[in-house]
Amino acid sequence: MAPEDIQTFPSGIAIGAQPCSTPLDDLENVVALYQPRVFRFLLANLRDRDAAETLTQETFLRAWTARSSFREDCSVGTWLIRIALNLARDHTRTGRFRFWKNIASHAVDVADVAASVPSAEVSSETRLIAQQQVAHIWETVANLSHRQRTVFLLRFLEEMDIPEIAEATGLPLGTVKSHLYRALNVIRARHAVPEKEDR
Amino acid sequence: MIPETYKPVPSTHLTEDQFSELLTGAAPPDGSVLSMAEEHVLHCEQCAAELDSLRESLSLFREASTAYANEQLRRMPLVHVRVTQVHRPLLRPMLLAAAAALLLAAFVPMQMLLRSASPAPVQTVRHTLPAESVQRYAVESNEALLEDVRRATSSSVPDAMQALADPTAGVDLVQQNSSQRKD
Repeated sequence: MAPEDIQTFPSGIAIGAQPCSTPLDDLENVVALYQPRVFRFLLANLRDRDAAETLTQETFLRAWTARSSFREDCSVGTWLIRIALNLARDHTRTGRFRFWKNIASHAVDVADVAASVPSAEVSSETRLIAQQQVAHIWETVANLSHRQRTVFLLRFLEEMDIPEIAEATGLPLGTVKSHLYRALNVIRARHAVPEKEDR
Repeated sequence: MIPETYKPVPSTHLTEDQFSELLTGAAPPDGSVLSMAEEHVLHCEQCAAELDSLRESLSLFREASTAYANEQLRRMPLVHVRVTQVHRPLLRPMLLAAAAALLLAAFVPMQMLLRSASPAPVQTVRHTLPAESVQRYAVESNEALLEDVRRATSSSVPDAMQALADPTAGVDLVQQNSSQRKD
């Protein structure tokens, strides 16, 4: 039996071939296109690098095995985010996640994220203020409820519009809006506090 | 005549929902609400400053998170494995056949083992004789037995050629008597 096609995958993904034609057949391109996005979303949502890495690979594995069920009623990116969301939800429900969250040995450090502010040609003072702003939002987002955080990240990190978020989360448009508005109110309220303190 | 630098001072500021609508860019069903909020921001420095500050913070949050995630992604040990993708329409029947063969291979020795372990049934060999000969044999044996009994009871004196019951039973006694005589 001669191989018809050879593809590359991240390690740990074991696949079985299915003779059908979907946009996910070209997995190499799909991974190259969407892996940063899926990983970024999971990292910001779970705040755990190892978990984000594992679930990113799991997302593509699930997408590959279920690719015949992809009916193209939404974009590949939205479909992948939907899978990632389900995996993240299942992951956070387990007791193991809560245990490791308490230990937080491999949790994302806020200072590291804040230090990743792009270094444009600005003064060190401006850069420091920017880092403080990022750290403040990062911490506030961590304290949001799961749904508020998810919707907020999809809108302001992944820049998805509200109908797309509704598709990815399976929530009605009105519910998405209300979660987003509540999240923004919390962020706005806490954002105003340090500014007042600075003055 | 109104001077060009004149700006109407709004009596109230933006509501939370108007603020969120401006931040998310979500147009409400009635577009006039958004345009009112936009109009308000044009004239209210306080709301405009807060909106700009929040927009800037959210933008920085996105840039920093993306940069951090990309950095972490680069550090991820992505070992690429070459996987051959082959269309195998006969794969499933072949797998089923292999599973059946495996099951059979495990079942047959097990059955053989079970048979050898169980005790062998006792084989009773019956010599079947015809009914007439059986009956004759029973009559003959009865008659012979009766004859033996009759003989034993009738012979109070042993026959001349009949062996003694214990020819050496009196040897010790005889020897003892002879030694007494010698003394």
